[in-house]
Amino acid sequence: MPPSKNDNKLYSVEKTTFWFAIASVGLLVTLLLMLFQDHDREWKYYQREFVKLEREKTQEKLDEIIKNVNMEQLQRLKEELKEANFDFKQKQDQYNQLVKEKESIQLPLISAKNRYQDLKQYYDSYKFFFEEDNEAGEQKEAKAYQEKLEKTAVSLETAKEEMERLEKKQEDIDQAIRDLEAEQKTLTDKISAKLRDQERYQKKLEKLKPSVVKELLNAPMLDFMVPTLQIQQIVLEDLNDDFFFAKSNKIDRCTTCHLAIDQEGFEDAPQPFRTHPSLDLFLASNSPHPLEKIGCTVCHSGSGQSLSFTWAAHTPRDEVQAEEWKKEYHWHELEKWEAKMLPLQFTEASCTKCHQGVVDIPEAPKINHGRQLAREFGCFACHTVKGFSAEGGSASGGEGAWKVGPSLLNVKSKVDSDWMIRWLQAPKKFRASTRMPSVFHLENTSDQESKTLSNAGIKGISRYLMIHSGEVPLQSPPPKGNPETGQALIKEIGCLGCHSAEGVHVNDRGPELTGLGSKVSADWLYTWLKDPKHYSPETPMPNLRLSNQQAADITAYLLQDRNEAFESTGIPEVKEADVDQLAMSFLIGRMRESEAEETLSAMDADAKLQFVGKEMINRQGCFGCHDIQGFENAKRIGTELTKEGQKEITKLDFGFVEIPHSRQAWFFQKLKHPRSYDKGRVKPYQDKLRMPDFGLTDEQAEALTTFLLSLRTEDIPLEMQRQLNLDEQAIEAGRFLVNKYNCQGCHTLDGVEGRVRSLFEDLGNAPPVLDGEGAKVQEDWLFEFLHAPSTIRPWLKYHMPGFGLSEDELNALIQYFALLEHQKVSFAPSDISTDQDILTAGRQLFMQFKCIQCHQSAESPGLTASFLAPDLVISKDRLKPQWVVEWLKEPQRLQEGTMMPTFFADGTTPIADVLDGDWIKQIHALRDYMWQLTEEQAEAIKSANLAAKTN
Amino acid sequence: MAELIKHFFNQISSPVMMFTLGTGLLFLFLSFPGQLTAPKVAGPLGILVVAFFIFGLTDEHFKMIITTPDNVPIVMMLFIMLYFTWYAMRKATVNDMRMAEGKGPLEKEESEQKVLVFPYLIFIEFVVALFYSIMLVVWSLALKAPLEDPANPSISPNPSKAPWYFLGLQELLVYFDPWIAGVLLPTLIIIGLCAIPYLDRSPKGSGYYSYQQRRVWISGFLFCFWMLWIVLIVLGTFLRGPNWNFFGPFEVWNVHKVVPLLNVNLSEFVFIKWLGWGLPSQWYLRELPGILLVLAYLLIPPAMAAKTFCKKAFQEMGAVRYAVAAFLLLMVIAVPIKMYLRWAFNLKYLVAIPEFFFNI
Repeated sequence: MPPSKNDNKLYSVEKTTFWFAIASVGLLVTLLLMLFQDHDREWKYYQREFVKLEREKTQEKLDEIIKNVNMEQLQRLKEELKEANFDFKQKQDQYNQLVKEKESIQLPLISAKNRYQDLKQYYDSYKFFFEEDNEAGEQKEAKAYQEKLEKTAVSLETAKEEMERLEKKQEDIDQAIRDLEAEQKTLTDKISAKLRDQERYQKKLEKLKPSVVKELLNAPMLDFMVPTLQIQQIVLEDLNDDFFFAKSNKIDRCTTCHLAIDQEGFEDAPQPFRTHPSLDLFLASNSPHPLEKIGCTVCHSGSGQSLSFTWAAHTPRDEVQAEEWKKEYHWHELEKWEAKMLPLQFTEASCTKCHQGVVDIPEAPKINHGRQLAREFGCFACHTVKGFSAEGGSASGGEGAWKVGPSLLNVKSKVDSDWMIRWLQAPKKFRASTRMPSVFHLENTSDQESKTLSNAGIKGISRYLMIHSGEVPLQSPPPKGNPETGQALIKEIGCLGCHSAEGVHVNDRGPELTGLGSKVSADWLYTWLKDPKHYSPETPMPNLRLSNQQAADITAYLLQDRNEAFESTGIPEVKEADVDQLAMSFLIGRMRESEAEETLSAMDADAKLQFVGKEMINRQGCFGCHDIQGFENAKRIGTELTKEGQKEITKLDFGFVEIPHSRQAWFFQKLKHPRSYDKGRVKPYQDKLRMPDFGLTDEQAEALTTFLLSLRTEDIPLEMQRQLNLDEQAIEAGRFLVNKYNCQGCHTLDGVEGRVRSLFEDLGNAPPVLDGEGAKVQEDWLFEFLHAPSTIRPWLKYHMPGFGLSEDELNALIQYFALLEHQKVSFAPSDISTDQDILTAGRQLFMQFKCIQCHQSAESPGLTASFLAPDLVISKDRLKPQWVVEWLKEPQRLQEGTMMPTFFADGTTPIADVLDGDWIKQIHALRDYMWQLTEEQAEAIKSANLAAKTN
Repeated sequence: MAELIKHFFNQISSPVMMFTLGTGLLFLFLSFPGQLTAPKVAGPLGILVVAFFIFGLTDEHFKMIITTPDNVPIVMMLFIMLYFTWYAMRKATVNDMRMAEGKGPLEKEESEQKVLVFPYLIFIEFVVALFYSIMLVVWSLALKAPLEDPANPSISPNPSKAPWYFLGLQELLVYFDPWIAGVLLPTLIIIGLCAIPYLDRSPKGSGYYSYQQRRVWISGFLFCFWMLWIVLIVLGTFLRGPNWNFFGPFEVWNVHKVVPLLNVNLSEFVFIKWLGWGLPSQWYLRELPGILLVLAYLLIPPAMAAKTFCKKAFQEMGAVRYAVAAFLLLMVIAVPIKMYLRWAFNLKYLVAIPEFFFNI
C-alpha cells in the first residue's frame, strides 16, 4: 500500500520524483556538455580559419588571372566560334545524314561482332579436341573434329570480313563527322585553354565556399561520415616511435593545423599556416626530405600525434616567446614529456640522427659550427663522445689528429716559468683571442682562500712542467733580421693562411701573432720558423720553407710586439703553508688525514710544489689538450657526453641558478658560465666545479648547445639514414684532412672560398683555386707535390708549406681530389701521340697562339700576376692530357674568371690553315706538342720572341 | 601572516606531529562525542577545514598538489571520511541520549514502518544512480586523465608512488622491512577484519547506531582506520615528495633536498652506547635485548591486563579469543610505536638479523 501524503514517513514519492526530474535535466545537460567538449577541438578552429585564408588567396589569384587574360584575343576567338557555329548550321543536313547512317550501322555491326566471337569460340574448341584426339591416336574422332574445324574456319573467315567491313565503314563516318565539327572544336579548345586556370580557381573557390551542407557534415554526431574538417595525418612507414615496450609507425598530425606547410604561396601567412621556409630542402616531394617519407617530428621532435598546441610539446625559443604563448595559447611546459619540440634555433641538432660519418652536414651551418667548435676548443679532450676521437677527429676522419694545445714536452726551451704563471692566471690577458680557457680565479674560486690555493697550484704546475720538460737545441738567427721585411713577409708568405696577425682575422687556426716579444726568445722563434717539427714533432704548424733571412726577418718583426700590461702583472706570492694546504686537500681525498700529514711531512718544499702541480694538472685535465710528461695514459676527466642530448633533466643540477629547467638552457648556461652552478653551494676547494671558461660568445654557445642536443641515440632504420657509398666515404676522409690541415684557409676548394683570398686585390697573386684539381693534375704528380711542394707559379709569394703528410693521408687526399671530380684514380702513364706531322702542327700553333708569353718559368717584367701562368714545360708531368684538351676548348667553363683566352670560341679556330682548320685536331696537336716540350725548346722560343720584339 | 600560517602547518604536518595531533584529536572526539558532533560545533569545524583548503589554494604549490587530477579523489576521500565519521557518531550519540532517557534507538521506531522495496527503494536508488552518473561525467569533463610519457623502463619517476590505496602500506615501508610492510601487515589486516565477527560476538548495537554500548570496538576501529590508513594515505599523497622525503603542504618539492637519515639498531644502542662492550659476534646474543623486548611487549601487557582492568573482558571472551584480540591489537599499536621510536631515537630495528633477513 502506498503511504499517504501527509504521513511523516521515511520516504516521499513527491520528493523523489522532484529529484528524479532534477537528475534527468542534469543528465541531459551533462550529455550536451559531453557532446560539446568532444566536438570542440582546437584544430577545427584553425581549419576553419585556414579555409578563409585559402579563399582569400584563391580569390587574389583568380583576380590576377582574370586581369592577365587577353580579353581582346578571347573576344576574337569567341567571334570566330560564332562564325564557325553559323557555318556548321549550314551543313546541318549533311551532319544529320551522317549521324543517321552511323546509327543504322550499329545493329549489323554488333551482330557481326557476335557472330565472329561465337564462331571463334567453336573454332578454338574444335581445335583443342582435334589436337587432343590426334595426339591420343583417336583417329576417328580426330577426323570428325578436323572436318568441323575446316568448316568453321571458312565461316569464321567470312564473319571476320563482314565485321571488318562494317568497322571500317563506321570509322569513315566518324571521320566525316569529325571533319564537319573540326573548326568548331579547335576554337572551343583554344578558348577553354585560355580559361583553364580561371576555371580551376573558380572551381576551387566554389569548393571552399561555406555551405549548409558542409555545416551539417561537420555537425556533432554527424561528423563521422565525411566531414570537411578532418584530422590530417602522415603515417611514416619507415620511421618508428619507440614506446620502449612496443614500436609503432611514427604518426605526425602536425599538418592538421599547419595546413599550408608544404604549399607555396603562404610564406607570409600567419602561423600556423605559414609555408615551411625551405621547401626545396624539406617537405616538397622532390626534395631530399619529402613530407610523406620524413614527416615533421623526426627533425623537430615533439608529440606528433597530439592535436593541441600545448600537448604537441611546442617549445618556445626564449622566455619572451614563452610569455606570448602563455597569453595566446594557454601554453604550459609539459613536464613529463621527454621528446619535446626543439626550440627553432636548435632544430639542426636532429640532422645527426640520419647524417653520420660526415665532416660537415650540407645546409646545416649551426650544427657544423658547433661540431667544429667542439673540435677546436678540445671538448673531446676531457669529455668522451663516442664517434669523436680525443684529438677532435670525427668517426669518418679516423685517427691522427693533433691535440688541441701545443705540446709541453719541451716547454722549458720555449717559455720561462714566470710567463707560465702569468699565463695561467689569465690567458686572455696575454692574448684575447686565445682558445686556452681560463681555469683559475673564476666565479666559484674568486674568494680569497680559493685564490691563494689556486696560486699555489699555478706555481706548482709551472714547477712541474719545468722539471718534467725536455730541452731542444736552438739555433740563433745568423743574419740580423729586418723587422720591416718581416712585417711584409707575414702578409705575403702565407702566415695568414692559419694565423691572425696585424689585425687581419681571416683565419684563426693557429694562435694570433701578438705579444710574442713577451713570450719567447729570438732563438726559439727562429728555430721554430725554420722547422716547427724540430721543437715539437707533433705540431700542426707546417714547414713554410723559409730562407734563413726570411726566418730572421719574421723573428725580428714578431718579437717587436710586446704585451707590456701582461709583463707588468705581478707574480703572486705563494707561502709554503698554502702549498701545504693544497697538498693536504689532494691527499685526504685518497688517504686518512694522519697518513696524509705523514706523507706531506716526508716531502721537501720543492717536492710539495711538484706534487701540487701534478695533482692540479690531473684535476684540471691539462693533459687532454697538451702533451705533458707523466700523463701519457691519463684518463679523460669530464663526464661522458655520448648521450647528453637525452640526459634526464633531473640529473642536471641547476643549483640556485634561475633559468628554465630545460636541457638547452642548462647547456647554454654551463657553456657561458661553467662554474655558475656552484653559486650558493658550500664546497671545499677540491670539490668545486672545474670546467674552465672558454669565453664563448652567445653565438658559439648556441652552436655548441645545438651540438650537445644532437648527442642522442635514436633508433632510425638504416635505410632511412643517409648512407655513404665508398666514394663518398673516401671524399669525407679527404674532407677531414682538408679541415685538419686547413687547406681552405688559403685555397678555394669544395665549395668554400679560400679565406685569405679576400685579402688580395689581384687574385693572380692569391693561392690558386683547387676546384677541379682532381680532373686537372696527374695522381703521381699530386702525390709528389703534396709530399714535397715545388714551385709551379714563381710569381706567387705565398708558399705552399710542407705538412709532412703520411702516405695514408697523401693517398686519401689524392682519392679525395679525384673523386670530387668523378675521376678514376689512376697512376698509369699518359699515352700521347708522337707523330711528327702533328708535333710540327702543334709547334706552329704554339708559336702563333703565343703560349709562352704568359706561361713562363720565371717572373717576367711587364705582366701583372693575374696574367702569369704556370710553366708549360712541367705540364707533361703535372696535367692530365684529357684535361688539357677540355681546358683549351673552354677555359671559362673549368675556371671562371681565368685570364686564359678562349682560342677556340664556339668550335672554330682562328688559324684555318693548320690541320685543315679542325679545332679538335688543333687542340690535340697543341697538347701533344706540349708533352714533348723541353726547357731548352721553351727557352729558344722565348729568346726568339724577344729577338722578334726588339727587332 | 599567511606565511606564518603556512609555516605553522608545515611544522605540524611533519609525520610525528601529525600522528600525535591526529591521535589527540581522535581521543578528544571520542571523549566528547555528544558535544563535538552537535551541528553547532561540527558545522563550524567543518567550515574551518574547508577554509583551510581554500586558504591553501592561494599557495601555488599547495594548489598544484591538491588539483592534480591524480590527487583530487584523495581530497574528496578526506571530506567524505570526515562526513561519514561525523554522521555515524551523530546518530550514535542521539541514540545514546534516547536510550539514556529510556527510549529505544531511532532505528527501532523507523523499523516499525513497512515499505516495499519496489518501487520505493528502487526508485530512490535509481535517482541516486542518476546523480552519481552526473557526477562522474562532470568529473571526467573537468579533469583530464593524467596521462604521462610512455613508460621508460630505464627511468623511474621520482617520487615513485603506489596507487593511492596502497600509499598507507608504502608509508609503512619507511619503518619496516618490505616483507613486514608489504606481506605480514596486510595479511594481518585481512585476518583481523575476518576475525572481527568471531571476536566480538556481543549482540549490542546490532541494527542501530550506538557509541556508549560499543566504545572499545568503535574507538579501536576508528583509530585503525583513521590513523593507520587514511592519515597514512594522505601523508603519502600530499606530503611525500621526491626521494620519498617529507615536505610540508606549503613546501616546494625540491629534488635535491637532503635530510639526515642515520638510523641505529637497538643492539648498537645496548651494546655500544650503554654498555660499551662492542657487538657480540653471535646473532642470538647480539639481538637478545631486542628479542626479549618484543616478547615482553607481546606477553606481559595482555597478561597484566587480563588480571586487572580487562578481567571482565577476559572472562567473557575466554582465553583464546582474548589472546587473538590482544595480539591483533598489539600489532596495530606496534606500528605507531615503531614510528615513534624511529622519530624519537632514530631506532632502525629492534631485532636485526640480516643473517635470516629478519628485521623488525
